[in-house]
This record gives sequence, C-alpha cells and structure tokens, in this order.
Amino acid sequence: MLNADPILALLSRALDAAALRQTVHATNVANVDTEGYRRLEVIYSAELQRLQAGGQAVDVNEAMAWAEAEPEVVESSETRVRLDQEMAQMAENAVRYQALIGAIERTLSTLRYAARDGREG
Amino acid sequence: MSMFGVLEVSSAGMDVQQARLEVAASNIANARTTQQNGGVYKPLTVVVRSAIAAAQGPAGTPTTVENLPMPSVAEVVEMNVAPKLVYEPGHPDADERGMVSLPGVDPVSSMLDLVSISRGYEANLRAFDITRSLLQRTLELGRNR
Repeated sequence: MLNADPILALLSRALDAAALRQTVHATNVANVDTEGYRRLEVIYSAELQRLQAGGQAVDVNEAMAWAEAEPEVVESSETRVRLDQEMAQMAENAVRYQALIGAIERTLSTLRYAARDGREG
Repeated sequence: MSMFGVLEVSSAGMDVQQARLEVAASNIANARTTQQNGGVYKPLTVVVRSAIAAAQGPAGTPTTVENLPMPSVAEVVEMNVAPKLVYEPGHPDADERGMVSLPGVDPVSSMLDLVSISRGYEANLRAFDITRSLLQRTLELGRNR
C-alpha cells in the first residue's frame, strides 16, 4: 500500500511480518491443549535465513531486496507448545511492532515536512 | 493480511480453558460421590481438537492466516481410572466386606490441572490484549497532526 516511498514500503512489509508473528504466537497459545497440535512458526526462505545468520553488513539495495521475501507459516521442529516461551516471544515481537509503528510515524512526518517546503505547522 | 481473525482464536482458547475448569471443578466436587447413574462417579476429562486441523486431513496442508487452527472442546469423556476401595463399614454403599468404591479422583493432579487451566486462560487473555493494543496502535497511525 505504502509504495510511494521505498523506506515506507520496507517498513510496512516488516510490519506485516510482525503482525503475522503475533497471529502465530496467539494461535499457538490458544491451542496449547489441542490434541495432536503441532506448534507453528514464521520462517523466511532459506536464502534469507542464511543472510540473517551470517550477521555481515549489507548495503541498502540488498536490504531492499530482502523486503521482497515472503514470510511463510510452517510447523515448527519443536512440536510442543511451551506457554512461557510463547509469551516471551510474543512480548518481544510486540515491542518490535511498536518500534516499526514509531518508525513509520517518523518517516511520514519527514515526508510531511518536505511536502510543506520545510515550513512548520 | 489481517490480525483481526486471531482475536477469535484467542477467545476460542479461553472457552476451552473455561470448559476444562468446569470439568476439573466437577471432579473435585464429586470426589466422594458413590452413586451416579447406578454406579460410582467416574472422573471426566476434556478432549480438545482443532476445528481446521481436523478438516484439513493429511498433515502438511499449509496453514495461512485465513485458516488458523481454532481450538474447541470435541467431547467430555469419562476417564478410564479404577475406583478407590476404602474400608468404611458404616457407609450405605459398602459391600459385605465393608469396602466402599470411591471415584478415582486424584486430588493432587486435580489441583495441578487448576494451575495449568488458570495459566492457560491468562495467557490467552494476554495474547488477546496484546493483539488488541497492536491493532489500536496501527489504527492511530498518522492520526497525530
């Protein structure tokens, strides 16, 4: 939706991924007593995970290319739902989500500032 | 992609914990019920199944935000536990040797169930709350100025 600005596009995709994570954690928590339920998790393609694990510096163009990757919901290798772990990850993800919202707000206000030729108000 | 659907899943999770609570309370309350439908009370347990996982059939069907596994109480069944025999000759339901069959309710595991139910309920409530506040934050995007 926010495709006019590349930074906003990147942020909104990251926000989508965080929303998907919240959805998956909440679903795991709801199914803690479900018979035969296998824990779900969000993953990115193998290529992207390799890059994330490497931890090396990337340039802006590469980071932009990452934004094109689609997150998928898969069954986790650890099948049992652990309530405490799930809640901890949910809390961490919520902080990340709010940070992204903050970043989007700041980007929008920069654009707004530019649109007014740098005039305040 | 939407987070709204997961609110329903969280409340289904709370419903399940509520049903478990009712069954656990019934087991504790009937720990000494010797007559019920012509026999000693049999402890109950809740079977929880996930609605979509059951309909999906074979494993490996991709899960998406559109078909989240929704937990629900499939059935409440009698647990297959032997009654406890207690020597109480004065009891009206005692046999000729003075033994009474009491339900096989294990008080310790019943209390542990209560702890896990309350933790499960709270976790679902917390998840609901976090989802709601994130949605709220998102709706307020660009609201200021």
